Amino acid sequence: MFITDIRKEFYEVVANQRVALLVASDIDALCACKILQALFHCDQIQYTLVPVTGWQDLGTAFLEHKEQFRFFVLINCGANVDLLEMLQPDDDSVFFICDTHRPVDVVNVYNDTQIKLLIKQDDDLGVPSYDDIFRDEEEEEGGDSGNESDEGSEPSGKRRRFDEGAVERRIERQRARREWEARRREILFDYEQYEYHGTSAAMVFFELAWVMTKDTKDMLWWAIIGLTDQWVHDKITNMKYVTDIATMQRHVSRHNHRNEDEENSLSIDCMRISFEYDLRLTLYQHWSMYESICNSCYTSCHFKLWTLNGQKKLQEFLADMGLPLKQVRQKFNSMDMSIKENLRDVIEESSNKYGMKDIRIQTFGVHFGFKNRFLAGDMVHAATALLESTEKDESDSDNFIKALDSLSRSNLERLHSGIDLAKKKLIAIQQTVASCICTNLILSQGPFLYCYLMEGTPDVKLFSKPMTLTLLCKYLLKAFVQSTRNKRCKLLPLIMAAPKDMEKGTVIVVGIPPESETSDKKNFFGRAFEKAAESTSSRTLHDHFDTSIIELKMEDRSKFLDALITLLS
Amino acid sequence: MFCEKAVELIRELHRISDGQLPAFNEDGLRQVLQEMEALYDQNQADVNEAKSEGRAELIPSIKVRHCCLLRDQRCVTAYLYDRLLRIRALRWEYGSVLPANVRFHMCAEENFRMTIVVLSQLQWFSQYKKSLASFMRSLGGGEGLDITQDMKPPKSLYIEVRCLKDHGEFEIDDGTVILLKKNSQHFLPRWKCEQLIRQGVLEHVVS
Repeated sequence: MFITDIRKEFYEVVANQRVALLVASDIDALCACKILQALFHCDQIQYTLVPVTGWQDLGTAFLEHKEQFRFFVLINCGANVDLLEMLQPDDDSVFFICDTHRPVDVVNVYNDTQIKLLIKQDDDLGVPSYDDIFRDEEEEEGGDSGNESDEGSEPSGKRRRFDEGAVERRIERQRARREWEARRREILFDYEQYEYHGTSAAMVFFELAWVMTKDTKDMLWWAIIGLTDQWVHDKITNMKYVTDIATMQRHVSRHNHRNEDEENSLSIDCMRISFEYDLRLTLYQHWSMYESICNSCYTSCHFKLWTLNGQKKLQEFLADMGLPLKQVRQKFNSMDMSIKENLRDVIEESSNKYGMKDIRIQTFGVHFGFKNRFLAGDMVHAATALLESTEKDESDSDNFIKALDSLSRSNLERLHSGIDLAKKKLIAIQQTVASCICTNLILSQGPFLYCYLMEGTPDVKLFSKPMTLTLLCKYLLKAFVQSTRNKRCKLLPLIMAAPKDMEKGTVIVVGIPPESETSDKKNFFGRAFEKAAESTSSRTLHDHFDTSIIELKMEDRSKFLDALITLLS
Repeated sequence: MFCEKAVELIRELHRISDGQLPAFNEDGLRQVLQEMEALYDQNQADVNEAKSEGRAELIPSIKVRHCCLLRDQRCVTAYLYDRLLRIRALRWEYGSVLPANVRFHMCAEENFRMTIVVLSQLQWFSQYKKSLASFMRSLGGGEGLDITQDMKPPKSLYIEVRCLKDHGEFEIDDGTVILLKKNSQHFLPRWKCEQLIRQGVLEHVVS
């Protein structure tokens, strides 16, 4: 069931209890987890934090901890499947689920005792009403058997007529039942067909902190990072992002007006969050302008930097702005102050000429100490790079802990190492995109586009991780749309496969919706993958919380694809 | 010279000034007490003689011996009192069960044929333990509070720890069991974690 008052029905319930936190592996979940941990520290609520990477992990973690804990908080996992059936908990276990995955499974919505959803009942949920999908079975049988016993006691003269009447009624009832079931199937199919994302979990927990007036600037910053993660990884629409930014802006101005005035200005070491209408160039303040322009998806796709023409256009662009190449290739912090002063406006003016209307994006930046300035996007990229780093001897939970640490202000070296890893990742993505486009690796299969990364591709190890592969997929689709002339292909979704585990011989397959300006980011590949796997009995593992990411055995690849083509055409 | 033995006892304690308890100098104490006995006997005899025969020239020597007696008494009480203070400090440092090497230095004997009643040190220690325990039990509204836990007020009751290796199950005070798996984080009472932090199983997370 949906919780209406998050303080009374969630926080005060767990206030004197011990709680298990099961947290999924994405940055929004990490930020939400940090906020909740800070609240628990305030009120001395004992908890245990366990990172989970998929459904199997979730099941194992639950089994290990179900003896000791009664209350479980699931962050960014668990809303889109029938949780009670999957985990088979005892009757007194209570699950608080704060998940951005939609659609929320109907059983989770209508269970009153064990599942509490920390989700606002927005308009975009569209949950079917109770009577459309559930029905009490007993009255049916009762009605039938009552009639039958009546029939037996009737005198024989009238028996035939009554028999016919009863039979007719039964046939009528069965027909109504079949109709109801067909309608139910249709409603459920429509409801569960598309997968998308809702409000950030970090923002939900920040609101809880705000309602209890225990919110701090750190928590506000984590909420902003959680929201930005959803935008960077293209999980929410532009409209929703702008609306949520406005919400966060209100909180930021509330915090900023609290302490600072003429006489008592804050020390330079205090944390300041500010609203920025900043450039869409990834990591540009920690890199050089040139590198950032070359490796940001937006600019790289618009200029088509994998072609010679594109490179020339970039040089023209820089010349048009009056930025000398030597300056632009330097580290951003070492650029001339005179250039840095009006940089954003100058770039915006020039990019309008080159057709890039949205080079600036609303976001937030943080500033503490003399050296430390970060944009929310920088933090997201750094933390994601740490979370999915492919160093040897590091398990998923090691990476989780590293990424979690990097979000605290006291672990700046971790953050900087994350930024370095992010730079390498972005360069790898851009090079892979360039090579895929130039060698025409993207094939149109009819209802969708398909691309397979061979084993020998450089940096292919990086792409065995789901979020990195999804990011590559999105960049590739954007680049493809820019570079192809085929009008029909521009509207197709993209499926990408990359080798995941050489020993087990599996590939990871990701599907993303088609690229468009007004895309609603709804992804139908989850159900499509399930059906295709079933029909060909391919050996697949649907372990990831996003149903559009699966693992597949290499040998079953071709028949799986064929099944998908038939399914979707 | 008179009182030298007594001063030596004091010097012995003064030499070990860092709170450790040296062995109980039974011999030294016995010698001092014997000296006191001898002085007292002599004084008694002289006082009787001075009274009965009116020999006033004995009075200075009586006075000297009396001063020596007082000095001896003062030194012996100082010695014993200082040892008691050190034993009390041991309770706060080591807890209610003393390690064997410390207990060795405490004397268990009880008899001294003297006017000063010397309680055996071990007995004193156990009585001190008992009265401290009953005091602690009376704190906190009948629930009791272990005030020997922290000498300084702690910053927080609970700390966040991260598990560095798989340690299996771990039980805390109210009976609940926690599974310590690698890379899981927990928020636990501080005193329970200290032992494991020292062993290297848990790591305190400062954020």
